[in-house]
Amino acid sequence: MTGRRTESGGLIDRGTTLRFRFDGRAYTGHPGDTLASALLANGVRVLGRSFKYHRPRGVWGAWFDDPNAIFDVALEGNEIPNCPATTTPLVEGMEARVVNAWPSARRDVKGGLDLLHRWLGAGFYYKTFIWPDWHLFEPSIRRMAGLGALDGKEIPDYVADQIHDACDLLVVGGGAAGLAAARAAAEAGQDVVLVEDHPELGGGLYRSGESVEGKARAEWVTEQGATIAKNGGRILTGTTAFGVYDHGLVGLATERGFARAPRLTRMRARRVVMATGALDRPMTFADNDRPGVMSLQAAAEYLTRYGVLVGRRIAVLSNNSAGEAAIEALRAAGAEVTEADPGAGPIRALGGKRLSGVRMGEKRLECDTLLVSSGLTPVVHLWRHAGGKLDWSDEKSAFVPGAAPQGMMAIGAANGTFDLEPALAEARAAALGKPAAPTGNSYSIRPLWPEPGTKGRQWIDFQHDVTLKDVELAARENYISVEHLKRYTTLGMAGDQGKTSNMAGLAAMAAIQGKPIPEVGTTTFRPPFVPVPLELYHGARRGQLLNPLKRLVLEPQHRQAGAALGEYGGWLRPGWYGPKPADQAVRDEVLMARKTAGIFDGSPLGKIEVMGPDAEAFVNFIYYNTIATLQPGHIRYGFMLTESGAIYDDGVIARLGPERFVISCSSAHVDGVEAMLESWRQDGNDPDRLFVHDATQHWATVTVTGPKAREIVGALGLPLDLTRAAFPHMTLRESDFAGSPLRVARVSFTGDVSFELSLRATKAADLWTALIDAGAQHDAGPIGIEALSVLRAEKGFIVVGKDTDGETMPQDLGFGIPRLKKKSAFVGDRGLHTEAANDPNRRQLVGLTAPEGSPTLPTGAHLVTGDRPRSEGIITSSYFSPTLDRPIALALLERGAARQGETVTVWHMGQVRTATVAPPCALDPEGGRLDA
Amino acid sequence: MQLFPCPFCGPRDEREFHFAAEAGKTRPDTTGAVSEADWAAYLYDRRNDKGRVREVWMHLPCREVFVMERDSVSMEVLGTTAFRKAGA
Amino acid sequence: MRDDSRKWDAPPDDSQPLTGMGMTVARVWPTRQLLISAPDVLARMPGAGWPDVVTGAPYTLCLRRDRVLEVDGPAREEGWDGVQAVTDVSDAYAVFRIEGPQALALCRRGTEVSLARPSRSVARQMFGLSAFLYPWENEERFCLHVPRAHAQALWQMLAAHMGQMQRSA
Repeated sequence: MTGRRTESGGLIDRGTTLRFRFDGRAYTGHPGDTLASALLANGVRVLGRSFKYHRPRGVWGAWFDDPNAIFDVALEGNEIPNCPATTTPLVEGMEARVVNAWPSARRDVKGGLDLLHRWLGAGFYYKTFIWPDWHLFEPSIRRMAGLGALDGKEIPDYVADQIHDACDLLVVGGGAAGLAAARAAAEAGQDVVLVEDHPELGGGLYRSGESVEGKARAEWVTEQGATIAKNGGRILTGTTAFGVYDHGLVGLATERGFARAPRLTRMRARRVVMATGALDRPMTFADNDRPGVMSLQAAAEYLTRYGVLVGRRIAVLSNNSAGEAAIEALRAAGAEVTEADPGAGPIRALGGKRLSGVRMGEKRLECDTLLVSSGLTPVVHLWRHAGGKLDWSDEKSAFVPGAAPQGMMAIGAANGTFDLEPALAEARAAALGKPAAPTGNSYSIRPLWPEPGTKGRQWIDFQHDVTLKDVELAARENYISVEHLKRYTTLGMAGDQGKTSNMAGLAAMAAIQGKPIPEVGTTTFRPPFVPVPLELYHGARRGQLLNPLKRLVLEPQHRQAGAALGEYGGWLRPGWYGPKPADQAVRDEVLMARKTAGIFDGSPLGKIEVMGPDAEAFVNFIYYNTIATLQPGHIRYGFMLTESGAIYDDGVIARLGPERFVISCSSAHVDGVEAMLESWRQDGNDPDRLFVHDATQHWATVTVTGPKAREIVGALGLPLDLTRAAFPHMTLRESDFAGSPLRVARVSFTGDVSFELSLRATKAADLWTALIDAGAQHDAGPIGIEALSVLRAEKGFIVVGKDTDGETMPQDLGFGIPRLKKKSAFVGDRGLHTEAANDPNRRQLVGLTAPEGSPTLPTGAHLVTGDRPRSEGIITSSYFSPTLDRPIALALLERGAARQGETVTVWHMGQVRTATVAPPCALDPEGGRLDA
Repeated sequence: MQLFPCPFCGPRDEREFHFAAEAGKTRPDTTGAVSEADWAAYLYDRRNDKGRVREVWMHLPCREVFVMERDSVSMEVLGTTAFRKAGA
Repeated sequence: MRDDSRKWDAPPDDSQPLTGMGMTVARVWPTRQLLISAPDVLARMPGAGWPDVVTGAPYTLCLRRDRVLEVDGPAREEGWDGVQAVTDVSDAYAVFRIEGPQALALCRRGTEVSLARPSRSVARQMFGLSAFLYPWENEERFCLHVPRAHAQALWQMLAAHMGQMQRSA
């Protein structure tokens, strides 16, 4: 037992005792403790095992700068993996377990792996597990690697609250500088938000040992906070600014307690002041990872914030002046502190799980705790996220903020201003957007960096077990760029993200190459600054709200009719109806539609209106087909192309009047077509003479198709002559249903007589019910989209994107005339005459028939020829046709139109069958049913 | 997340915008002969400049098509103009 | 071919408002919504932008440089009449009212919006959906139009966020 709780001091609530367990043993702590501080107070030293070698580890840091102590923590049945012990607030009843060790951190059965370290250096996996195949080794390596384990249970209501916010000035960091800046800005009338990641304000002040501006530290902190609030500033504690994004957007994660998802605030700040402080960096010497080797700054933090004295006989190795107050405080708390010179010869930590001393050259010093500091590193992550530059300071032996990103300033220790008074002056100037006058600097440091070639295992990255030798190996193998070094050795990866390892790593690489540190540079800093749960980004958009489908106004009617609903092109639509197995239900619906009629909800079909004096010329330009000749009341089928000539959409266009058209594009394409029309409207056309209104969702559309369609629609008693002569195919009539405008279109996607009835959505239920009732008189009923797919395939009608791909052009489907005859310009026109478009071997739409009695051909199968088979095409749609009582298929096949009757080989997943090329239309090629 | 100033609506979240094309391309007059090279250049050639760029964007909620000048490195937006006026 | 009916909740009963946090969210049914487009439409009927407070009826909302939505106005001839293009979209947009001191806070969960940042158009993306958002009668009441087919998504989204606001209050 080395650490202990002090008699007084710290920010903890000593009046309340919290019980918790770690690796199965019971301990106590106080509110205000973290798991790490409570364990240290109980004299526990070994708080983790290292990632690769399973070396025993203590804590290095006291907050986000600890790479070692990572726990799986359970509380009230909820378990969270990979909690950093140093930032997880202690809660009564917590059960913590160390990750990557079994049965406990103290006695880890894999501890013996450390003996194999000679063979486990950087690149070991890449070099070793090559023969015969990495995949042979992968499963067992994956099992050994990794940290905490998920328990597989969902935590109820673990949903991140996500909000947007904005402010004039965001101050990141609630230490002395941040408080001073936020106060000055609030008093100047700015809308200020101050964030601090600890539960309380004050930052590094508590360990500084000073009074501030003549006041006791706590009193000064309280006064600043109160003044900020009084002037309308907002203070968010327990909140981490984890990333700076473009245009002043800062991601804030606010802790909301254990097993509750943090809150995400997307804060848009006009200006950001970074007051994130500075960290002590580790010293690189032999066995510098032993439990009991700790950052001097962290020891001061444990003492002053948590009331924990981390050791009794303490040795301090420091090359700089920043720790003087800390040493005084440790002595005052009763520790025996010996300061030693880190430059006195090669250093080695002695002892195993228990530190027994430190050797420096020939000299040996007994101690139970070794506190080290090799200099302060400003926390510049947010600065780099925003694109700020870093300058190397020889004076401070550190990277400090250089050229500023737009709207951002750095103050205090984060800016390399380690003295309090100048930091406060800098903060108050920054609050008003001004730079501070330069001041003196009392911080002194004697540079001390890793020395390549020295003996012993010297840790650079504690979290990923990367040693100085690994860096040397990487350099020998020419991974000398710091970005390569990082990937090859894993230095600076994982939760630590280089907070403790980066400087040592790049200093080592600089020394190996004999270059100055700034020439080697740093790796890229990326958000998040600290690990955050993925849930933070997830929020309420989950389940049905992840990607909500569009819903039909008739959905209640479909559900009542027993519809099987599914996603079709972004809409939730009936696939088929009734309790029968899907295949049978679809078959019955097809047969019904061919025998009597099917009633189909086609509401998602586009209804995009194009109006204005230039409407005619515009649609003529948009369509592949000539539309200018279309008469009012008439409908034409056509294609829209991309500029490369490929088919983008197909559908019908109706002309309602001389200057008014309705485009009925395919259901899944409405948003895309509307945006495309709008871009062409504003680009190359006169937008004052042309208007595009998307009225799709105003309407519901019910289609009646089949030999009895005319009788069923007739039963509605519309003021409309439905006879063939009065209302021919491909015409449109405007009528009235129960006082609402009704559009009736004669178009057919089935090859049978069809009426498409469109009515405003809120009246659609009445129309649906009337049609279903009328249909029942003729043994007709509702059909789903699956039956419609079969009906259209029997006729050889295509679905764009299914029976076409990104290269299919209209001539490949037998619509070649406008390509040759249309005189005016249209979208994609030139694309239809490229070398590829003129290629005689283009894939063309065909039908396929399978030999008698054979099953349905597989969709996606290749049509192949030759001894070394080459794909000449692909089956795009394939069904069993109940109408024809045989399988049917559509395919795209090279020169297909000229290969009718030819037998082709169908290859699918190694299986080979044959089929015969046929016309796409398998049913009623003369079209007699259409006007029956 | 960037803020783009729609010429009509003012600054809005980048998620409301859709990139259309680099600015400065004119559709060849396809009623006359257009060489393969000219058509290919129109369809496929991209400058993809690093730094200052001029691009055509659409603001989806108001369907404004506009030209935006911005810096593709610093992400600074230098200005936007309604397309129908810019005519670019 | 898959039956996903159970993955998607049946349409909710939106005749009863959602309540919580001193807020109500109710679906309302304007008698008429018309899209009116013309080169000079904003000169004739400027329409409310953000955050203009809309009062009474009829009123118009500015959607685009050349387009407004007229709500509860008179019936108009549809099509192009030589001056303007008119289309009846009464059933194309579902309309909701959010009332209460937290109404703006609820809206801000779905979009980066603030009363301090005006915008000529009321059209924006909210909760990933297309929407028209504007204050109605005062700054604690907001009106929200979304494409009808997304009405259920919006309703569920607002219910989810109200629940979250309650849990974190």
